[in-house]
Amino acid sequence: MPAVSVQDLTKTYGEGATALEDVSFEIEKGEFVVVLGPSGAGKSTLLRILNGLTTPTDGSVVVSDEEVRGRRSDVAMVFQLHYVIESMSAYRNALTGALSRTGLLDSVLTWYDGDDKQTALEALDTVGLLDEADQRAGSMSGGQQQRVGIARALVQNPALLLADEPVASLDPKAATEVMGYMRSAAKERNLTTVASLHQVNIAREFGDRFIGIRDGEVVFDGDEDALTMDAVDGIYYGEGGDDPMEVPGR
Amino acid sequence: MSGDASGESPTGDVGGDGNAPADAPIIDETLRRIERAQRVRRLLMGVGLLILGGVTAAGLTFIGFNLADLTRTFPNFLSSLWDFMPPDFVDFTTYTSENDIRGPRAVYESLVRPGTLVESLAEQEGLVGLSVITIAIGFCGTVLGFPFALTFGVLGSERVVPFPFNFVFRGTMSTIRAIPALVWVLIYIPLAGLGPVGALLAVATDTVGNLGRLFTDELEEIDDGPIEAIGSTGASDPQRVVFGMLSQVFTSFIAWTLYIFEINVRIAVSLGVVGAGGIGMYIQQRFFGFLEFGKGMAAIIMVIAIVLSVEMVSSRLRARLRPSEHESKGFLDALGELSDSDKWLGTRSKE
Repeated sequence: MPAVSVQDLTKTYGEGATALEDVSFEIEKGEFVVVLGPSGAGKSTLLRILNGLTTPTDGSVVVSDEEVRGRRSDVAMVFQLHYVIESMSAYRNALTGALSRTGLLDSVLTWYDGDDKQTALEALDTVGLLDEADQRAGSMSGGQQQRVGIARALVQNPALLLADEPVASLDPKAATEVMGYMRSAAKERNLTTVASLHQVNIAREFGDRFIGIRDGEVVFDGDEDALTMDAVDGIYYGEGGDDPMEVPGR
Repeated sequence: MSGDASGESPTGDVGGDGNAPADAPIIDETLRRIERAQRVRRLLMGVGLLILGGVTAAGLTFIGFNLADLTRTFPNFLSSLWDFMPPDFVDFTTYTSENDIRGPRAVYESLVRPGTLVESLAEQEGLVGLSVITIAIGFCGTVLGFPFALTFGVLGSERVVPFPFNFVFRGTMSTIRAIPALVWVLIYIPLAGLGPVGALLAVATDTVGNLGRLFTDELEEIDDGPIEAIGSTGASDPQRVVFGMLSQVFTSFIAWTLYIFEINVRIAVSLGVVGAGGIGMYIQQRFFGFLEFGKGMAAIIMVIAIVLSVEMVSSRLRARLRPSEHESKGFLDALGELSDSDKWLGTRSKE
């Protein structure tokens, strides 16, 4: 039984603009999948549908035997611009992952469940921020803030962890660090993960399996060995290979 | 002009691109177009200034403004200002008024006897007691108005309450704002009489309209990202509002509240002038009833001292609210500029 099953997913916007077309794949529990593709290929749309933030025009997504029909606390998302709350500490940010299990008043007064507090600190430990737990998120570096974002996602106790271009706005060193923490967090917890990336070298370093998307269609699906230079060119520039060096314009 | 333009094209040729000469007519054309647009803009600006001047002149005539009259009365005005001097602090505390200690000496004599300040406070008399009434009206009015301002401000935001319905709250705030505090205090006369309590209610009401509006505006400018991120954790809608939205604006809400507090203290002074107690009422009585201009001047100096100290305290607090703001490049820093100039004020004179 696959952990995630995506069937004939299609998404069209308004008249004719197709973001995804008949996308199908299955993911086994604990797999670390990287979605590759040029900008505008439909990576973000795919992740947003997996997370229930966007409704597909057609097709279905099933996570842990249950169809995704809206936002679900067991499907966690790490965003490109981390979107942590800058005025709160790393610890309180991590705790927001437990909001769905906590009442409004309790959450406002930080009366979280003891187990949730434990989980939050464990998650911060996993991303190497235990010492910075009470530091204001707004005063942290971009890489650290993204790690807080990962901790928040982990506190949700997700069945599926999604990451939409999690390192696109980080420098290469911070990007590698963040991806390392994400991968070890996922492996430690046997967590099924889908991350979209546009840096092929980083993808190669951290992914188990790669799904290439171009113009809304799956054009590649395989492991690191299958992801040859030609395969990468195929994902980014199309089969038969237009010259990758060709620049539009003159 | 066009000679200039054609003079430019040969330099383009140096690049050896080959197509610069072909572009020369286009450059000429562009230049002409830009200059034409500029001429039109200048013309429109001139017309606009003329209209502005005309409307202002009409307004002044309508009101009956006459420079000649003012020049005639000006010497009189100057000599009346002379009556304000020296400021007479005889009513600084009950002690000084009872012992007829006059002039600035009254301030000194009171300050060296701190008991007299407390006595004046307890009896709510003397400039000290009256000032505290005024500050209390401003402070408590802000505190009482805050929860309502927060509720209306949040519910007035389109991001919390969908479009047509949020206008119920926006409209309420606009209506409250349309009525000045000076009128609110009159409206509240049957409820609380004309006095400090009525003034308090007027200030609190005014706060709901003004502070609530600032809250709503602030909420329109926040990032969608954190709201979506909190939503993606499966949080409930109220949690999304609190954690995704309010947490982003928490410090600026406090900063705006302190700013409104400053304004409310000034409003409390003016409410006194229409009879609602406090130091404003003392000023009104000196000028209209007793013609004791020296005492009035003393009270004016007192008002300046109150307002400046309130501003100083408030801006200090606001500066405190933004700790390591240098690192995060928030737009809110623009707000912080306010406190910068006041930090400077703070180092210059510390009461």
